[in-house]
Amino acid sequence: MLKLVTRETDDHQDFESDAPVTQDQLLSRVAQGDQAAFAALYDQIAPRVLGLVRRLLRDHAQSEEVTQEIFLEIWQTATRYDSNKGGASTWIMTMAHRRAVDRVRASQASRDRDTRIGIRDYDADYDNVSETVQTKIEHERVEKAMQRLTELQRQAVSLAYYGGYSHSEVATLLSVPIGTVKTRLRDGMIRLRDELGVAS
Amino acid sequence: MTDKHNDPASLTGSYALDSLSAEEREAVEAELDASESLRHEVTELTDTAVLLGRAVAPVTPPPALKASIMSLIATTPQLPARERPSGVTDAAASVTDINSRRASTPAAPAPVAPTASVAPSASLSPAARKAQSRWFTKPVVALVSVAAALGLIVGGGVLVNSIGEPPQSNQAGDQLAEINAASDSQRAVSQIDGGGTATLVWSNELGRSAMIVDGLEALPSDKVYELWYIDEASGARPAGTFTVKDDGSTLRVLDGDMKAGDTVGVTVEPSGGSKTPTTTPIVAIASA
Repeated sequence: MLKLVTRETDDHQDFESDAPVTQDQLLSRVAQGDQAAFAALYDQIAPRVLGLVRRLLRDHAQSEEVTQEIFLEIWQTATRYDSNKGGASTWIMTMAHRRAVDRVRASQASRDRDTRIGIRDYDADYDNVSETVQTKIEHERVEKAMQRLTELQRQAVSLAYYGGYSHSEVATLLSVPIGTVKTRLRDGMIRLRDELGVAS
Repeated sequence: MTDKHNDPASLTGSYALDSLSAEEREAVEAELDASESLRHEVTELTDTAVLLGRAVAPVTPPPALKASIMSLIATTPQLPARERPSGVTDAAASVTDINSRRASTPAAPAPVAPTASVAPSASLSPAARKAQSRWFTKPVVALVSVAAALGLIVGGGVLVNSIGEPPQSNQAGDQLAEINAASDSQRAVSQIDGGGTATLVWSNELGRSAMIVDGLEALPSDKVYELWYIDEASGARPAGTFTVKDDGSTLRVLDGDMKAGDTVGVTVEPSGGSKTPTTTPIVAIASA
């Protein structure tokens, strides 16, 4: 692994202590040009970013490329981030999804044509046990909330979020009018928000 | 809006799920400025979408990806901290400035902000401020594109760039991009004896391969790492030498042609390289 070698100054002694450093704290250090903090933030969140991007793109090489673009953008725009934005993880995961969707749209054909996926794809092991457990819990919560949606809401939300389809594509795939898709995406998300207890 | 389905208020779900066209997205964002309730809903639904994202199984990235990204950011400037979009009110902007100033170095620009009058008297609710400040960050696509145009971003995302030798690195990066882009491109990762990781990317179609190492120990000046194409019939063919940077990483596109099924090995050799390996390989990656 890369060592945190960027700055041997003593201005991040606290960083080298055993005290847990939150992603928000790391991101504010990144905003000051701290490459070691960036490396630590990467270690914490890159598996989630790559997992999400690959869920949409499926092609592993492309997913790595998009993940690289996302982290470059995190680096460049961390200076514009502030804590009012709802947490580093939210900011990064929102950016990751949008960039993955951008790529899906840019290479429209890639979704239904890529026969190389079988060769290139491989299942990576989970990084560690605690992450697996945490992800499993989060997965089950979402799964449970999804079950409370109507069939059409669930299909529309899944196709849009996990498939990266636009709402007009979702309309075609589900053979329903586009206005219906917009409504189902909205009331489906509102239902999920309530089931998952999200409030700003 | 004549079509009620194009009313931004009906598009919050689609917005949070990134399923809008660029024009529709802009239409929603334009309305956010005027409607607190819309901002509120968009914020909550976006947070909900993040939970959908966090339910996806993580995938551990290969070490080469981190090496590549760390090299990129080392040479990529960050955006200046300020420059508020015009739509944000003074109150919200001032609050933001104070927050970001508290967290930043003394050298950071310190915009004029009336400290006494801001936070408590700001007219927006905390949720509104949160919502307002988060929807006006335009992506910096332009900068990313510049990096891409310079060849810093390549297919597969495993370019290792370096400050000292850009032309060479970019050339290697271009070649790596070509290998990555081949329809039969494959890769394999292996641990190096003594520490570090080696990633081999290859295409049998092109007969080319590239090795990316990370965390490899630097050698004394009278020694180099040497790459070999190895096949059972004819033994080891020299494929070039390399050294590593301070962080133990490098990218090396192998010299010569790769044959399908070759194993790629790395040995430590005297400076200048050898015609046949004189030491035991520290790593060997089979391409079959």
